[in-house]
Amino acid sequence: MEMGITLNGVTKVFGAQAAVQDINLEIPTGDFVALLGPSGSGKTTLLRMIAGLEGLDKGKIFFNGVDYSAKTVKERKVGFVFQHYALFKHMTIFENVAFGLKVKPRKWRPSKKEIREKVFELLRLVQLEHVADRYPSQLSGGQRQRIALARALAVEPEVLLLDEPFGALDAKVRQELRHWLRDIHQKLNITTVFVTHDQEEALEMADTVVVMNHGRIEQIGSPQEVYEKPANAFVYSFLGRVNEFRGAALLNVSDKEEAVGYIRPHEILLSKIPKRYSVAAEVSHVHAVGSTVRAVLRRLDTNDFFEVEVALDLYRTLDQFTKGALLYAEFTNIIVFKEKEKLGRSMIVEKVTGEAFSALS
Amino acid sequence: METSNLVEVTSTRVRNFMLAPIRKWLLIGVALSFLGIFIFIPLLAVFSEALKKGIGLYFAAIIEPDALAAIKLTLLTALIAVPVNTLFGVIAAWGITKFNFKGKNMLITLIDLPFAVSPVIAGLVFVLLFGTSGVLGPLLEANNMKIIFAVPGIVIATLFITFPFVVRELIPIMQEQGSEEEQAALTLGASSWQMFFRVTLPNIKWGLLYGIILCNARAMGEFGAVSVVSGHIRGLTNTVPLHVEILYNEYNFAAAFAVASLLALLAIVTLVFKSIVEWKTKRNDHGER
Repeated sequence: MEMGITLNGVTKVFGAQAAVQDINLEIPTGDFVALLGPSGSGKTTLLRMIAGLEGLDKGKIFFNGVDYSAKTVKERKVGFVFQHYALFKHMTIFENVAFGLKVKPRKWRPSKKEIREKVFELLRLVQLEHVADRYPSQLSGGQRQRIALARALAVEPEVLLLDEPFGALDAKVRQELRHWLRDIHQKLNITTVFVTHDQEEALEMADTVVVMNHGRIEQIGSPQEVYEKPANAFVYSFLGRVNEFRGAALLNVSDKEEAVGYIRPHEILLSKIPKRYSVAAEVSHVHAVGSTVRAVLRRLDTNDFFEVEVALDLYRTLDQFTKGALLYAEFTNIIVFKEKEKLGRSMIVEKVTGEAFSALS
Repeated sequence: METSNLVEVTSTRVRNFMLAPIRKWLLIGVALSFLGIFIFIPLLAVFSEALKKGIGLYFAAIIEPDALAAIKLTLLTALIAVPVNTLFGVIAAWGITKFNFKGKNMLITLIDLPFAVSPVIAGLVFVLLFGTSGVLGPLLEANNMKIIFAVPGIVIATLFITFPFVVRELIPIMQEQGSEEEQAALTLGASSWQMFFRVTLPNIKWGLLYGIILCNARAMGEFGAVSVVSGHIRGLTNTVPLHVEILYNEYNFAAAFAVASLLALLAIVTLVFKSIVEWKTKRNDHGER
């Protein structure tokens, strides 16, 4: 019997449009999964379907091998954390966290003392013991989200589902909470699925990344897998910054019209002197803040702009180039995808070598 | 030329500025005198007229059997109409704000119907429905039931007239709050009842109370629709407003105003309640955002 969550041909239609189409997914127990995709890709709908907050139009959902498709939210015993916290405004933090315990049927309801102990144990876990008597409105966004998590954990769910948990927080708090959530997952080892549109967040936190687009899964894999071996053009371009080349620029590709070539900014090699396959380019903008330097360059042959990223020490060996400087760029590792369907689903045709590229430039 | 223009512009601005306080007090004065003439003085007149012939006569008019019967009937009507409309108001507001269905806008429009139609017409509709020559008249007569010119008719007419108050008050509040907190309650294992009583109700309580207060004021004060279906039988189908009219038509002014003062008192109590609730709501909003 397979453990964890299994989705079998899960489909959801809103009006005439399918929000989620024929999703097959296995989430092993204890896994930390990110559903990653742009807005409107169906990732939140999928999460809500797992929770039972949204019904299925087709397909089945299994929890530990048992068909849960027709079970209610209550029966599924999942912990759900909302993007905008959804804390009960009229209750104190203590009452919020205790809610799940207090609504249990009398038979299973812990005593007042037990509830108190459990709530404070959870508040300690999220490091917010001192706010027990306050109301949600008196907390910061990051604190509220931590309380929302404590509240969800109070009922000891087998699965924790988080809908863009850090979406409403500012950058610094978001960074802190990422580490914190990973820690909690390590401590409790509870199956966790979270939705995000931030590829950095997904790659940094998750064990498994599920990339979604237009209600379908584009790729499932570890962060390294999806980043280094993207299944198609969508995944490649969604997972990081890219330079895009189309049509005539890709000389040795048979179906030029439909082919798209990509290269990431850090994969472009810069030098001060011309190399065998290099292209001359002029620096048009430099952004030198942080450990890497980003720059936009203009190819002198085609006048196309492209983005490069170089490490700080390399930047120094390039004489800390500024706007107007002349450099030589090598595009040695372009990946070409051929679009097969309109949905942005595509496949790798072949890798173009530097030779092929420079032959045309 | 240019300089003179400049001077003119400046002087207009100064004049505007100087005029501002005068204009402000003029506006406030107009509003206050309107309020005084049309609301405060009549209210005062009701009480002075009621007490004109001494406090003894005032109470005598109120504890007179027919007056007491009218007060009882009014209380009974409100006691039925307010809870029923509160219950249905909450259900209707819930249905409209939490679900999407065909004919939703139609339903919202229909809810406003009692506000849009004249109360007399509302009363007549029920006479046409339940009266002896009405659509359901023969059926009721066969079963020996009397609705028109009887207490049930008064209750039904009041129910109709006061239906929109609670719904109207709740729809915007529930729309604004959305359903995330309720969904959170469900994921935490709450049953539908627990969700309603522990999450939904506390969130709408002030709005609900506000609606109930207005609903009650109207239920006790309704004249038009009730007048049509009542039959004005003293001691049986007379509500307080109808009793006031009867007394007045009999030139029994002191008694009429004494009973009317009860309604005026009700209005004042309602307003006090209403401002307490408004103050509470505002404070809650402030504290929670």
